[in-house]
Amino acid sequence: MTMNIFQQEFKMHTRSVITWSLGLTALILLVVSLFSSFAQDAALLNEMMDNFPEQLLTAFGMTGLDLATILGYFSLAFLFVQIFLALQAANYGFSLVSVEEREWTADFLLTKPVGRTRILTSKLLAALSALAITDIVVWASSFFSVSMWAGDAAYDTSTFLLLMASIVPFQLFFLAVGLVVSLLVKRIRNVTPYAMALGFGMYVLSVFGDMLGESALEKITPFKHFEPNYIIQNGAYDLPLVLISVAVIVLSVVGSYLLYARRDIPSAV
Amino acid sequence: MNIFVRELKSNLRSLIVWGVVVVLFVTIGFSKFSAYYGNPEMLAILDSMPPALLEAFSFQAFNLTTVTGFYGVMFTYFALILSIAAAMWGSDIISKEERDKTVEFSLTLPVTRGRVVTAKALAALVNCIALLLITLAASLVSAAPYQPDDEFYQFLGLCTLALIFMQLIFLAIGIFLGCAMKRYKRSSSVAVGLLLGTYFLSVLSGLHKDLEFLKYVTPFKYFDPGMLLREARLDMLYVGLSLAIIVVSLAGAYLTYARRDLYI
Repeated sequence: MTMNIFQQEFKMHTRSVITWSLGLTALILLVVSLFSSFAQDAALLNEMMDNFPEQLLTAFGMTGLDLATILGYFSLAFLFVQIFLALQAANYGFSLVSVEEREWTADFLLTKPVGRTRILTSKLLAALSALAITDIVVWASSFFSVSMWAGDAAYDTSTFLLLMASIVPFQLFFLAVGLVVSLLVKRIRNVTPYAMALGFGMYVLSVFGDMLGESALEKITPFKHFEPNYIIQNGAYDLPLVLISVAVIVLSVVGSYLLYARRDIPSAV
Repeated sequence: MNIFVRELKSNLRSLIVWGVVVVLFVTIGFSKFSAYYGNPEMLAILDSMPPALLEAFSFQAFNLTTVTGFYGVMFTYFALILSIAAAMWGSDIISKEERDKTVEFSLTLPVTRGRVVTAKALAALVNCIALLLITLAASLVSAAPYQPDDEFYQFLGLCTLALIFMQLIFLAIGIFLGCAMKRYKRSSSVAVGLLLGTYFLSVLSGLHKDLEFLKYVTPFKYFDPGMLLREARLDMLYVGLSLAIIVVSLAGAYLTYARRDLYI
């Protein structure tokens, strides 16, 4: 790792980290603060949902979701948190290396007396720290909001911790996949479409899988690997699916190092 | 005209990619719809529920056993996909010139900035309409085997009209952001952020009655498929609101782009 590159990269992320963290905090606080008024209707809703056919509920992704409990309700907010975290991580992954080539600074950076591996390591660590800060903010605001507005409703702390911990590998998946894809293509003109396609595409796949009862889609999307419903109901991760995620992360990171070491770098002149 | 043609050409690839995504989405969706189509178990449940309840939850629109109800469920996703495409095209078509360092060149052409924006906006608009037509065609072809009735075609027409408004809103906002934002790199992410933010608000506004006022804030609530089906018309209030957003954004785009400092 090279400290200079790390610092420079980290500085570049600062503003974006602040924006994302504030946005996520606002989202969590807003949704969870509505819990107490929602919980009253929820008991009624649960009763009604018991009468619905299984298929209808799966179509709307409402199976096993008990909105009357704080964790069930929180998982609703958590899904949105996941979407935003996925977009952020994908954004960082796609732009990590490609930004240098887009702005014609890659040749400057690569003439420095630092190996490519070390450059990539510094950049990755900077992005990881940026994501870690976001995680800490998300954790803090989740704990705060749940303990603030849960009222008397008891919840299982260890399940909650599991849920919170799941966002780390979840982000890594999008960061790593974004990075390796950005190294596989020739040039990325604009990061947003790529990040949207990966982050939001995965979300749509998981919703679609629910609606259609298609289990093959489960294997692809991290939104299924770390599905809040599953974690809350079972108090554990769905291990085989989580392992898929881990494998993808490892492969992507290793692949990125290999690809970056022998990448053809375009220069302005 | 040259700019318009040039932009159409350079956006063609993106249009094709989006077109393929939409067609895939429609095909997969409808192929799975066959499992719901006329499913007697679900029909029985729907019949047993009191009509008032159905009304309240607009389950008429969500009756997955009919092709019309199924399209009502798909509508939200179409709105999301088409407006994301519109927002990205709108913001990108203006800001990419600065990103690719071609803005000096295009603005030294003997054309005023206003006309550059017009040509680009029209090219993006043509793209949006093309994508909408692809969606419509794919839906019609996929729905045909289920012998849709007149009601379906009427509903489809209304939904398409609603989708046009959604696209126009986000296209106009995108163009405005592309023109107005100093940091050209941010414009597309801000456009998409705004879009996802308003989508989130639309989900939130359904959760609790105190948040109902949000329905004026988020375009995703302007055209509710349940209401489109029940009343078979667009709500004029929201049509007016949409037009206002579009006009204000476009006016803002022209004004800011005319006096914009360029990043070279």
